[in-house]
Amino acid sequence: MLLDYAFMASVAALVFGSVTLRLASSKRAMFWFSSVVLAVILALTLLLQYTGGSATSMGILSFNPFSLFFAMLFTAGVLLVNTLAYARARDYGNFAALAALALSGMYLVAFANSLVSVFIGLELMSLPSVFMVLLSKRDSMEAATKLFIMAALSIATLSMAMVLIYGASGTLSFQQANEGALVGFAFVLFVAALGFEASVFPFNVLLPDVYQGSGAYMTAMLGGVNKKVGFAALLQVLILLFITLKADFAVVAILAVATMFYGNLVALLQTDLKRLLAYSSISQAGYILLGIAVANQAGVSGSLVQIFAHMFLFVGAMSIVAWLESKGRSDIDGTLGLYKDNRLMAIALSIFLLSMVGLPFTTGFVGKFLIFLSAVNSGLAILAILGIINSVISIFYYAKVLTSMYTAKVGGYRIRVDAQTLAVVGVCLALTVLFGVYPQPLVHLAGSASSYLFAAGA
Amino acid sequence: MDPLFLLLPLLAAMAAVAADRNGARARYYALIGSALGLAMLPLAGFGTHSLTWFSVGGTAIQITTSITPLSFMLLFLVLAIGSLVLAYSFGFMDLPSEQRRFYTEMLAFEAAMLAFAMSGGFILLFIAWEFLSLSSYLLIGFWHGREKAVAAARKAITIVLISDIALLAAVVMFLNVYGTLSFSSILAAGISSNLQLAAMALLLIAVITKSAQFPMQEWLTDAMAGPTPVSAYLHSTTMVKAGVFVVLVLLPLFSAAGMMPALLAIAAVTIAVAIAGTLREHQIKRVIAYSTVEELGLILLAASVGAVFAAIYFFFAQSFYKSLLFFGAGNSMKATGSEDLYTITGLGSSRLVKYTVLFGALSLAGFIPFDGFFANFGIASAFAANLAAYALISAASLATSFYIFRWFMLQDRKPASAAVATGFLGLPRSMTYPMAVLAAATIAASGAFFVFPNVFGLQGISLQSYAGAIAAVVETAVVAVGAVAAVLFYTRKARVNKTAAVASAAPTRITIVAEATNAIYAHLAAFVEAVARGFAFFDDWLISAYDVAGHVSVLTGSRLRRIASGSVNTYVLVFAIGLALLAIAVVVV
Repeated sequence: MLLDYAFMASVAALVFGSVTLRLASSKRAMFWFSSVVLAVILALTLLLQYTGGSATSMGILSFNPFSLFFAMLFTAGVLLVNTLAYARARDYGNFAALAALALSGMYLVAFANSLVSVFIGLELMSLPSVFMVLLSKRDSMEAATKLFIMAALSIATLSMAMVLIYGASGTLSFQQANEGALVGFAFVLFVAALGFEASVFPFNVLLPDVYQGSGAYMTAMLGGVNKKVGFAALLQVLILLFITLKADFAVVAILAVATMFYGNLVALLQTDLKRLLAYSSISQAGYILLGIAVANQAGVSGSLVQIFAHMFLFVGAMSIVAWLESKGRSDIDGTLGLYKDNRLMAIALSIFLLSMVGLPFTTGFVGKFLIFLSAVNSGLAILAILGIINSVISIFYYAKVLTSMYTAKVGGYRIRVDAQTLAVVGVCLALTVLFGVYPQPLVHLAGSASSYLFAAGA
Repeated sequence: MDPLFLLLPLLAAMAAVAADRNGARARYYALIGSALGLAMLPLAGFGTHSLTWFSVGGTAIQITTSITPLSFMLLFLVLAIGSLVLAYSFGFMDLPSEQRRFYTEMLAFEAAMLAFAMSGGFILLFIAWEFLSLSSYLLIGFWHGREKAVAAARKAITIVLISDIALLAAVVMFLNVYGTLSFSSILAAGISSNLQLAAMALLLIAVITKSAQFPMQEWLTDAMAGPTPVSAYLHSTTMVKAGVFVVLVLLPLFSAAGMMPALLAIAAVTIAVAIAGTLREHQIKRVIAYSTVEELGLILLAASVGAVFAAIYFFFAQSFYKSLLFFGAGNSMKATGSEDLYTITGLGSSRLVKYTVLFGALSLAGFIPFDGFFANFGIASAFAANLAAYALISAASLATSFYIFRWFMLQDRKPASAAVATGFLGLPRSMTYPMAVLAAATIAASGAFFVFPNVFGLQGISLQSYAGAIAAVVETAVVAVGAVAAVLFYTRKARVNKTAAVASAAPTRITIVAEATNAIYAHLAAFVEAVARGFAFFDDWLISAYDVAGHVSVLTGSRLRRIASGSVNTYVLVFAIGLALLAIAVVVV
């Protein structure tokens, strides 16, 4: 219980501290303040995990293995992006304050005990995110506006879904819904609203525009962290409200397949690196959704591992893109001969991309393996096959970037990399390889998170 | 002891190479690591070991290693030939700037193949398989300043990764069906369901892709753009041998799945296409690359009719003469600075070089008492009962003998200039001595033909039996005819020039197949791209619908409206359409 309060106190300290410090102090102080507090929060979530995360309920918040898994992920993600923003952001003070606010919204989603928390949490995350996009780049007005309108639409859809659910079951707390036309439409609205938040086709079509139009560090935040919040919400709603309506999960499977194909096929034609990674992250969302569509504990475990994997892969890759962007090299040709310019960055980016394909001894392999395995084990081999076909397609565009990096070029000189980028890339790489070589702790965490979710949903 | 310890010297050597700042000692570390691995090989006793990697929902994902006579043979080949290849690289890779990268990648390649050879289950097999792909990609594209090398590496990685993913799919299915991934349990369980058949089909795709069998053979010949030591290693014991090795290990499963006729057909077409390639090519390495494709086809052919001993022996024998011939090709390229057979001359300038290469050629053609003779003899006798098949095999033998002596005689012409002769004489010892070792091995390995049946507990092939004797005589006659024809044909200078012109002008019906395969790749890529364009058109449509929808912006602020109008509205539209379709889907479901 003490840890729970410590956790909430730290979050409050982060939010109020950041907002106050923004007015008063230097960029440097701001960075160290938020980094230290975030590190404390991360330590607390890990401690809570370790002590069992005994599903304590505090009104509308619930501390359980599932919420702690995501809280840990979001904290780590924001910590990394915050470091990156310190080096890259045009207006770091505002970024840090807004990021603290958005993070508190993410926690609300992760620790949600009812649809109300999910709703408020998503709202609290989306609004600061719009402004963060706006501040991230000189001409990001368009991207911010698009994000704002679509987020508003998604929130509106979500509220409609909640109205329907309340009408059908008379409560907004997580509770299995009964069969019925009203519930069916609520299901559809939830999938659409949260599908946008989790970048599911066709509710995600603006994403590449937003990703491309934001500063790369902000793209790392959107694709690496914000979209994972969408999955946290989607998982809770689908499993806690609708798991008994197994038939509806066929729709999720269709969306998963469509999302994979959309992301991978369009990625084939991209020439801008950020856009390519945007579509690639859509395809990764498809794989994650595939695990959810399997609709059992093994599938969701796989999805959670994949969510973990992709967060660090995406943030890592994007921090390299942000670094390249700061050197004026933002399309695929910008990676030409990267190996000659900076070996470490080239090797790191190769590992990130190969892990997205599913290289063994990286987290990307573990996630995909578990997802495909769960699909086959549940008699959905066709889904696994479609997923694998998509992996084959993805090879073509990843190979394009890989080959470009190792192509020799005339001229070229060593380009130094700043400490922040180096730190972020290093952490992402270390976690990707560490949990790829020794996946047991990760698999265990994901397993207990998903089994909690299914136990609560039953 | 778990044979994974064999990887330690190689990994230690990799670390030492990586730490060697100016790369001056990299090659010594690499060679010591590899030789140490070879020295430690006898410590690996027969048996199976398992190591739990991680477990999920009660299923343990285990890294299983297994040492059987067959895997022991491959381990030996990988380490022994690997050490020779590394020694050969001392002379071949003589630029100081490329030392560290080259030896790191070579050691990674060797380690991956070792892990593959000792794998006793699909998990380690898959991991090794994937790392083989990656390290070969790096090595094929080693000279990344050359456009050809980059293109070849990209082609190789693209095709080979397809095999990796097919394998992953098969692995997942096997785990589902059998609940275990160790070969011994899977082999014991056999085949009973459709899912198993599907998994076997995927495994077949993985295998033929890795072993460059029809229609996936084209990446291998392009892969010649890599450094010659890499080619020598890739073609003799690593990478391409991985595919056929899996077939040999899991042969009962392929048989139970009813895939033997498919294997036979694939092997037969591959052999035909490959032989056509060897007869047409000018590039010194590509000729023997096609020859590797042919040999892998022969191994598969023997396996497909259940002639396991013949397949295993061929697998073994081929390693020596093929690496020897690649070393020879590397020497000729180094000495003359040319890669075209019709401009390379003067092989005879150095006796050691000439006679070692001749040993390789004689062995590949199948002259007694070289190991190639016994290898071909084993295959031929597997088909002795079927006269038509036997005739075709003999025809292939004839062609093989012809193309390898064409290859040899063209290089063995009088040196075109004094520079060429000194080029051959000036080859460093590190490049010629390993050849002498391999030349000796091509004869010594013949002994294995008589020892292997006992080691593997398989039915051997007796030379003394009546049919055996006849087959041996026929084969000798056939290869002699091929060799004599080539010698007669390619010793006169005028002839040589004429055939050079003819060879490049008229593609035969079979060489068209090789080109058609490339065309199929291109069409496939074009198809995927067309579908992708369809999706991209959809994306563009969203943006271009801008003008139509722009008037009905939901926002009032003029600046916001200007920016937001158009694409956002179409996004909203797509969102709504998606929602409607979803609703319909739910109702239907």
